Amino acid sequence: MSALPRTPAAAADVSPLFDLGQGLIDRSIFSDETLYRQELRRVFAPSWLFLAHESQFNKPGDFFTTYMGEDPVIVTMGRDRRIRAFLNACRHRGMRVCRADAGATKAFTCSYHGWSYDTSGKLINVPNRDGYPDGFDQDKWGLTEVAQLDTYKGLIFATWNPEAPPLRQALGDMTWYMDAMLDRDPDGTEVVGGVHKWVLEGNWKLAAEQFASDWYHVNISHASALMVMSPSGKGPKAEIVQTPGRQYTDPNGHGAGFPTHPKSRFDDRVVHHYYDYEKLRERLGDTRVEGPMTTGHATVFPNFSYLPVNGSIRVWHPKGPDRMEVWAWTLVDKSMPDEVKNAQRLYNLRTFGPTGIFEQDDGENWSECQATAHGFMAGSMALNYQMGLGSETEDGTHPGTTGHLYSDGAARGFYARWRDLMNTPAWHEKDHEKDTP
Amino acid sequence: MSIRTEEPTAAVSTGSALDPGAPAQEAAPSSAAPAAALDNMLLHFEVQRLYHLEAQLLDQHRYADWLELLADDLHYWAPVRTNRLRRQQSLADGAPGEVAIFDETKASLAWRIRRFDSGMAWAEDPPSRTRHLITNVMVRPDDEPGQYVAESAFLCYRNRLEREVDIYAGCRTDVLRRGTDGGLLIARRTILLDQNVLLAKNISTFL
Ligand code: FES
Ligand SMILES: [Fe+2]
Repeated sequence: MSALPRTPAAAADVSPLFDLGQGLIDRSIFSDETLYRQELRRVFAPSWLFLAHESQFNKPGDFFTTYMGEDPVIVTMGRDRRIRAFLNACRHRGMRVCRADAGATKAFTCSYHGWSYDTSGKLINVPNRDGYPDGFDQDKWGLTEVAQLDTYKGLIFATWNPEAPPLRQALGDMTWYMDAMLDRDPDGTEVVGGVHKWVLEGNWKLAAEQFASDWYHVNISHASALMVMSPSGKGPKAEIVQTPGRQYTDPNGHGAGFPTHPKSRFDDRVVHHYYDYEKLRERLGDTRVEGPMTTGHATVFPNFSYLPVNGSIRVWHPKGPDRMEVWAWTLVDKSMPDEVKNAQRLYNLRTFGPTGIFEQDDGENWSECQATAHGFMAGSMALNYQMGLGSETEDGTHPGTTGHLYSDGAARGFYARWRDLMNTPAWHEKDHEKDTP
Repeated sequence: MSIRTEEPTAAVSTGSALDPGAPAQEAAPSSAAPAAALDNMLLHFEVQRLYHLEAQLLDQHRYADWLELLADDLHYWAPVRTNRLRRQQSLADGAPGEVAIFDETKASLAWRIRRFDSGMAWAEDPPSRTRHLITNVMVRPDDEPGQYVAESAFLCYRNRLEREVDIYAGCRTDVLRRGTDGGLLIARRTILLDQNVLLAKNISTFL
């Protein structure tokens, strides 16, 4: 990173905010402005973050703009067909060099003074070039590129952190669970055109944590949706409400939960009929077809979440301690016939789009949790994350550590990782320690 | 979406509101102009009344009654709006088959409405207050006889709980058709919401 040496901002020790052994968390992690700034530096900047899906880039020049933390980035395919990601900030005065959501271009030309960058990030044109001193090296003023970019089965991730372990390693056992969504089809997945984007007055962790860990809310929060979706129209049977299941918790903060009851399958009828479950069993194994492929939820730490059966993949972009922006794509298998893809698209938008019958109730919960977090007394409460304490085991069937479906286990794992990152100087702070005596 | 500019007072004759079977006439001769203008006014008046009724039903949360205004083969669609480079403006409104805010049939709307009636739709309990304002109505005959294309602008204000406020603004292009009782039904609706990132946590009403 080309930056002037800067004294790292003071960092708070967040250990006192957690007693995870007792399942207690201080509520200030959702509302404190200083912790939020520290989170951008120590959680978002050093972590692998989801950017986009490979199917969004088909020819050189295709681009998509998004965010990593609060940093705007451009993801684009270069002339060599390599996908790269850059800070969407002109190296001259910092203006965004691309203000479109997606498209195709040969170059990103800043509309302020006209610095122009090609799709590999190189600075290719500087108006009034002669006005710069002899030492001005145009090659040194290309767009700031991410330190590492890699894909996992169609999903593009990147990090600013040159010291981050490789993506595969950072995902760890989580890939076994992700494959229940990403690897049903030998040809892989693609996303439907367009991205749902909406704002939510809530801290991003409320949503990320819930997708990692919270099956608990489903029967209550989504009672109305479950009712209209049940074949009887009266609500799911007791055996489905009380479904058995497992919840995976990962040392890197990822989490996933899924019922293991064969009937607890909230998929679209057309999509359900399309799948050959015998083939899927051969491909993914019985445990996965009867587990994470039934239905469920998952978060890849820190802010990428997905719903394997609805085909919703989404990022919770942080926009301050009190606000997030949800960006959600619809994922389908490449080999699905068009009518099946369309059925999946409609099912996802009607359940988990911004008008979706599930999503509406989730949003209400998160904005309400946030609204009360600023009261002194309400904001000083320790919150309860005790469900399933001590239930985690290695069950020999599901990779890594799993516990009961109804548990806060993956939330505890998510926050253990968050706490550790918050208390660890990131690479950019260590550079400074090295550079300065 | 094609933008049609119409002189609001132009004597563009439409099929008569009172006699829907009457063929649309080309620029009427000057002596007939007042009659044609009157027909046009009546049609606009009829469509406006439909929209005012619709707005009232939605604001009173009378969704089952609202469904009655929709044709059985309804397509109700609100594509996503994206920011595109000027030379790629044709891609700015989401295409059919892409991610959308609404992409509904009458049956799927009925499904959404059944959820509201479950007594457990917590995102609307207590219910929001909404006000649908419908304006800038322009109606023209469709190629299909007895059908009209109606464009309108909407502004929907939602106030929720103590101080949550959301404003949804945009335009709608409807295909209206006469039902068996002679009244107008909404057969197709395309909603262009004037937002990129939806500036609300959800849309819990209809537009
Ligand atoms: S800010 Fe981009 S050229 Fe000046
Ligand atoms: Fe939920």
